[in-house]
Amino acid sequence: MSRRSVQYTSSPLLASKTPIWRSQFIVAVIAAGFLGLVARAAYVQVIDNAFFKRQGTVRFVRTLDLPANRGRILDRHGNILASSVPVPSIWANPEDIERDPVKLKALAKLLGMTGPELDKKLQDEDKIFVWLKRQVDESIAKDIEALKIKGVYARKEYKRIYPEGESVAHVVGFTNVENLGQEGVELTFNKDLGGRAGSRRVIKDRLGRVVEDIGEMVPPVDGQDLQLSIDSKVQYFAYEKIKETVIANKAAAGSVVVLDVKTGEVLALVNYPSYSPGKRGGLSGAQLRNRALTDTFEPGSTMKPLVVGLALEKGIVKPETLIQTAPGRLQMGTATITDAHPHGVLSVNEVIQKSSNVGTVKIAMQMQPHDMWEIFTQVGLGQKPQVPFPGAVAGRLRAYKTWRPIEQATMSYGYGLSASLFQLAQAYTVFAHDGEMVPVSLVKTNQDVTGARVFSSHNAAAIRNMLHMVTIQGGTAPKAQTMGYSVGGKTGTAHKVEGKGYASKKYRGFFVGIAPIDNPRIVVAVMVDEPSNGVYFGGDVAAPVFSQTVQQTLRMMGVQPDMAVKPQVVTKVEKESF
Amino acid sequence: MSRVSFLLWLAVMASALYLVRTQYESRSLTTDIDRATSEARRLEVENDRLDVERRAQATPLRVEKLAREQLHMRTITPAITQYATVGGAAASAASAEVRP
Repeated sequence: MSRRSVQYTSSPLLASKTPIWRSQFIVAVIAAGFLGLVARAAYVQVIDNAFFKRQGTVRFVRTLDLPANRGRILDRHGNILASSVPVPSIWANPEDIERDPVKLKALAKLLGMTGPELDKKLQDEDKIFVWLKRQVDESIAKDIEALKIKGVYARKEYKRIYPEGESVAHVVGFTNVENLGQEGVELTFNKDLGGRAGSRRVIKDRLGRVVEDIGEMVPPVDGQDLQLSIDSKVQYFAYEKIKETVIANKAAAGSVVVLDVKTGEVLALVNYPSYSPGKRGGLSGAQLRNRALTDTFEPGSTMKPLVVGLALEKGIVKPETLIQTAPGRLQMGTATITDAHPHGVLSVNEVIQKSSNVGTVKIAMQMQPHDMWEIFTQVGLGQKPQVPFPGAVAGRLRAYKTWRPIEQATMSYGYGLSASLFQLAQAYTVFAHDGEMVPVSLVKTNQDVTGARVFSSHNAAAIRNMLHMVTIQGGTAPKAQTMGYSVGGKTGTAHKVEGKGYASKKYRGFFVGIAPIDNPRIVVAVMVDEPSNGVYFGGDVAAPVFSQTVQQTLRMMGVQPDMAVKPQVVTKVEKESF
Repeated sequence: MSRVSFLLWLAVMASALYLVRTQYESRSLTTDIDRATSEARRLEVENDRLDVERRAQATPLRVEKLAREQLHMRTITPAITQYATVGGAAASAASAEVRP
């Protein structure tokens, strides 16, 4: 055995005696280590398990909002009047925004604000989120992205778009930046249009991809589409006409209401001045007001057919009954009622045709105030129209018990009570729908309606005949005639009320009419406020708008002309060969 | 006996590995479906946007302007309209003349 080959078992290193405590110590240390692990495992998995579970969840479970689309607003043919589209909104994190003066200047310019304005928004460095500008154009958002400023971001938001613009602005209204309705049907039907947002809980991986759904998803409920009774073509045409008229007559404002007599649907409801719902900077109250529903005025002569209708109904007069209106004046106590021109003996038909105040008062004074009040109430005066519209007013009709005789007299020709243009239009459905007061609807129904009976069918036809006489030779509104269609209606001209009395040189001219007169399809009401270019009579300023609106509306509805027209067809029809 | 245990152990391992794989596949499918859903939503929104744009190009205002200015058209009146009735009767503006 050489000296080098020392056997393991007899290694001198092992020869020395190791104290036993050392191995015991090692075992103890390792055991303690394991015990520690067990204790920790128990702590994590049993004792404080909830905390760790929560921490884990926070790190990979996300709740995603599922936004609901706001419903669209459509016209009666399904054309879009309002719809939501996503647009970028620009926001910044002032805490870590890159404050490069050159880039910020370019940014301010793109956002359409001055440098100091932008600085002010970014001032507060404690904030981590400020909107710089909401709902900007796609191209601007792209330019901003191209600037590559750290801390400036874009996020998608929904914006309401109104393709029809000004002509339907008052009907449709608009939403605010939070997508809540503020005006018009956007406000009235906000709940139905809005829908309900949903949510889902998911696990996201390191790359932000959704890898697993947790629990039940709450699906978003999209808002319902709303189909209005409005016909956007009629609406547009009426808007253009009233706009032209208001400008030509240097008037303050104007409104047109078109009702479908058979269904009670509102085909058009326009006001001028209007606004563009997409660009609402610097709007004035005058532009925003839906005058046809919110402005009331004394309906003047347009009330006369109602009074005469009642007289026919009560058997007090017949259309041919003669009434002495000479000398064009009538003394009632201290007050004098006058006609614009003295007429002499008139038939009841002619009282309406010539719009004689004296004649109407003589008929009215044979009736009870209660009966007159009832007829006014039945046609909707003094009550809010049943249209779902913010700000619609009731007008004013005092209780009949408080009427003095002179008041009953003035009310018979439309003074001492007030109504909106919309109410007048609806009141005239009584004549157009064979004596029935038609309930109106702003939402498409397309169903024939039956209304509450006010006059007999026979008397309604008699009144229609009188209304037709107004528009022919010898009437007050020959300008209401339109090519191809027979029309009928009543003019009204009222002094405007200012403070406690009447303004001497401020008028309101209006016209409410029906067409075609024998088989009515539409009621059109036109009002021109403060025409100040020389003419102000309803027959001169409002009747022409009525004429053109009737012409276009009936043509669009496919109603065949009921009157003789001299054809101007220049080409001859060739026989078609098969 | 130990052989059976070994086989069972193998089966457990295989099943465990298969579970891992299935979980992985299910997650990547979820990712795909999620991507497809958001693409569908994007297209839907895009469709809405294009609908609006199409309507904006076809408003009565624009149609009338183009018809008048570029195509030199004019508004029709009953005088230049021929009304045809079903049944072949040659009803026209001229026939309206016959009626009172």
